[in-house]
Amino acid sequence: MRSNDYEQTPELELARAARGGDEQAFAEIVRRYSPRVFKFASRFFRQRSLVEEAAQEVFLKAFTQLDAFEGRGSMEGWLTRITTNTCLNLLRSARRRPELTVSDLTEDESTWLDESQADAAAERHQSSERSRVAADLAGRVLETMSPDDQLVLTLVDGEEMPIKEVAEMTGWTQSKVKVQAFRARRRMRKAVEQLLAHKKKSPDGSLESAR
Amino acid sequence: MRDEHIISILESAPPALLGESELEAIRAHTVHCSECRRAYEAAQISALLLRERALETIEPSPFFQTRVMAALRERQASNETPALGRLWKATGALVSSMAATVAALAVLTIFAPVSQPSAGTQEEIASAFNSYSAEEVLFDQNELPEDQMSYEQVLTTIYEAGEDR
Repeated sequence: MRSNDYEQTPELELARAARGGDEQAFAEIVRRYSPRVFKFASRFFRQRSLVEEAAQEVFLKAFTQLDAFEGRGSMEGWLTRITTNTCLNLLRSARRRPELTVSDLTEDESTWLDESQADAAAERHQSSERSRVAADLAGRVLETMSPDDQLVLTLVDGEEMPIKEVAEMTGWTQSKVKVQAFRARRRMRKAVEQLLAHKKKSPDGSLESAR
Repeated sequence: MRDEHIISILESAPPALLGESELEAIRAHTVHCSECRRAYEAAQISALLLRERALETIEPSPFFQTRVMAALRERQASNETPALGRLWKATGALVSSMAATVAALAVLTIFAPVSQPSAGTQEEIASAFNSYSAEEVLFDQNELPEDQMSYEQVLTTIYEAGEDR
């Protein structure tokens, strides 16, 4: 059976065939769910190579754990849980970046902070370039935080995902997710506050003067 | 409410998810509390950063499926090698123990103390190895002392013994 022949196959049947050693069935699982796995892995990593590495690890793990998939929940949910755990483990094994200071910011990031500070309350239209700069800066701030903080901030605050769903994905209790989010929010706010305070100290707020 | 610091409100949820009453409390308080105003400003920027980060998604490349399947085959192949590895290890242990035994024997052969046998002992050894010497055959067969045999008797006995073989 070719991979295309499995296009309409229900996920439970697909899992059964893959478990029985049908390579094409597993190839269909990879094809069908890789966008979802990539989406979640890119909440944790920004470099394509790291996202691909994490996603590959997710599918290899999924293959060895196919017996555990009994079809009680959706395969998408099951794979999302594997993705979350895999990415958390990868983040935990990686070295955390030290604190981010104004001197570490690029000129674009520094300008973005200036402009955002000027009208923080207003819903300013973000050009694609400004969005990219903001995403870069967010990534850099998040990298200084613990993997658990990164997880709750990106999912609860970034994705606005319900606490219950995050608890299901991580295997944490709902109160743990809430407490973790509360603390992570404080740490993120303090990191940004510190950057803003240092920028204000420099006479023209420019990156060069901050250095 | 106006005099209460609003930090705990900021930390309870992202600004976008705060209710109108909470936002009103924040606005009323930040007018005169510069510390909370800075915190609120930072919280808004944090939320903006996280939203932008969430919008960024990397799509799988067209070769991703092929890459995973190749990695899967590679992993399956490497899972099969441990059996061979165990066999190779067992063979290696056997070979090395054999080599150690041979080496020990060689060392013993070369360095073991050898005592010089006396002349009498040498003769005993020689006779032990030479149990079918002509003299012995003669003595065994005729049971006569050497000085009582004639030269002809000796020759006859030797030739007869040779014919018998």
